[in-house]
Amino acid sequence: MKTVIKTTDLSKVYTETAVPVHALKNVNIEFKEGEFTAIVGPSGSGKTTFLNVIGGLDKPTGGHVVIDGVDIATMKESKLFDFRMRHIGFVFQAYNLIPVLTAIENVSFIMLLQNRPKAEMENRAKEMLEQVGLSDKLDVRPSKLSGGQQQRVAVARALASKPDFVLADEPTANLDTESAFNLLDIMAKLNKEENITLIFSTHDHRVIERARRVITLVDGAVASDEHFERAER
Amino acid sequence: MKTLIKISWRNIWRNRSRTIVIITAIILGLMGGIFSAAMRLAMEQQQFEDTIDNQVSHIQIHHPEFIANPEAQYRIPGGNEIAKELKEREDITVASPRMVTDGMISSANMNSGVRIKGVDPVIESKTTGLDQLIVDGEYFTAEGRIPSILIGRALANDLNAGVGSRLVLTFQDIEGEMISSSFRVEGLYKITARRFEERTVFVKSSVINELIGEENAVTEIAIFLEEPDNYRSISRDISEIYPETKVRHWADLEPSLYYSLEVLNESLIWILIIIIMAVSFGLLNTILMSILERVRELGVLLAIGMKRARVFSMIVIETTIISIIGGATGLVLSWIMINILGNTGVNIPGGEGLEEFGYASVLYPRIETSFYFEIAVVIVIFAILASIYPAWKAIRLQPAEAVRQE
Repeated sequence: MKTVIKTTDLSKVYTETAVPVHALKNVNIEFKEGEFTAIVGPSGSGKTTFLNVIGGLDKPTGGHVVIDGVDIATMKESKLFDFRMRHIGFVFQAYNLIPVLTAIENVSFIMLLQNRPKAEMENRAKEMLEQVGLSDKLDVRPSKLSGGQQQRVAVARALASKPDFVLADEPTANLDTESAFNLLDIMAKLNKEENITLIFSTHDHRVIERARRVITLVDGAVASDEHFERAER
Repeated sequence: MKTLIKISWRNIWRNRSRTIVIITAIILGLMGGIFSAAMRLAMEQQQFEDTIDNQVSHIQIHHPEFIANPEAQYRIPGGNEIAKELKEREDITVASPRMVTDGMISSANMNSGVRIKGVDPVIESKTTGLDQLIVDGEYFTAEGRIPSILIGRALANDLNAGVGSRLVLTFQDIEGEMISSSFRVEGLYKITARRFEERTVFVKSSVINELIGEENAVTEIAIFLEEPDNYRSISRDISEIYPETKVRHWADLEPSLYYSLEVLNESLIWILIIIIMAVSFGLLNTILMSILERVRELGVLLAIGMKRARVFSMIVIETTIISIIGGATGLVLSWIMINILGNTGVNIPGGEGLEEFGYASVLYPRIETSFYFEIAVVIVIFAILASIYPAWKAIRLQPAEAVRQE
């Protein structure tokens, strides 16, 4: 399988505090295409920092993050914007949809930034909203959707532009059990059908139980990296 | 760009009441500023027109000595011929020869120093529209034995005289000898400048010329121009043609009026700029609040790949849209207000006191159309300036931190 992300001796030290905080310590991980990975660990273990760094939202203080043959650790910020837009999908804990846009506009938004043709954009956005079960909510704004529905729109947005991988930061943390399972089913289906690499940071055992790979971080270092065979649901 | 405008438009209506408040502030600020500017302009314009039309004209020609000693002995040699020659010029509409001298006017129990203007009634009505200023009595129509005099309403009050009263004028003839003659008040004129009303009387030039002993005596030629703005070049030109005379334009004759108009033109736009600046700070505050309220959302936009330049543009567009709505509405309402008040007039409380200083008690505010366009440009410039700080704050956000903001 093709390697999507490879980190080498990745480290991140926060020096703004009185005592420097080593959030990541020489992390070496490879993510293969189509993997469904959960990054777990206690609070402060470095999960979010790891996601930020491999997502190009934060710069590492040492090491490399190679995506599609490019080391984003040394990439200029102006190029990183473009790189994120074309290669990475994001799902946030608090959904973070754009409140003034409808569901279909939210899903189309990244494609719009990519200057995709209008018809292609609309078809893909409709297709994605259909896949997440919201084909009847195309023109509804986020404030009129439930938390679960908003997170499904966020997943559709992250996947619509067909990124190399999707980073999801605790995507089920704000959802009730039914909505969380529903979302995980959708993500698992999309992972399989679209062969998109999914990387979650999570505390949620419901996510961990579905992941085929679970990486545990403790104090910024990889404590374990386990692969599981999961039965289809 | 279309998408940015669409998002910006929706963003500004997210907090409808706040947006309406700032738009209302822009509208009221503009209306207030434009109204005060228009009133000020009307006041100065009215004073300018009164001074030029009824008092000094655009250019005056005198004997050089007449300036210090306004007496009949300092006449313009060949004054009538000069006036005729000037009338032939295409850039001059009227050249009115006058016999002007200082003297004393007396009623039965009062007297006062006045400037006596001997005029040709027909030419003078074309020059200063003196016939239109008569509020009581007639304009040089009487044919009685005693010659007619027109005096100001204020002077009539001072002398306790009225239409039909007999008054005595005392002045010097061409030899410098004092002469006195009796006149009957045929009409009272009224202009805004009370001091002019108190100090100026009009008689027929034929009458006063006979009294001073020279049939065609001229001490003053009052000139009105086709293009008033060319007063400097034309007065220079006349001066070169008639070097033995003293040629002065209105700015020389009324320097305080000239400078007050110069200052006014400069100050009006600055008054409005200050008002627009004040409103812009309100706008800046509104946009800044809206940025602080959507830090997480802006973080998401930056995280998913929206470039900082686009986020910056979005904030500038939001500010510009608000200012365009407020500015355009404010300008249209101001235009309507100024047009209505320009027709109906605005009564100034206690305005009669202002007349002492040559100002009217009813003003007709007006503003040049170009002024509205100038203000529109200023509004857009200040809106863009006001948006820079909030937009800069927005693009300084770190997406990794911003997306986690509560």
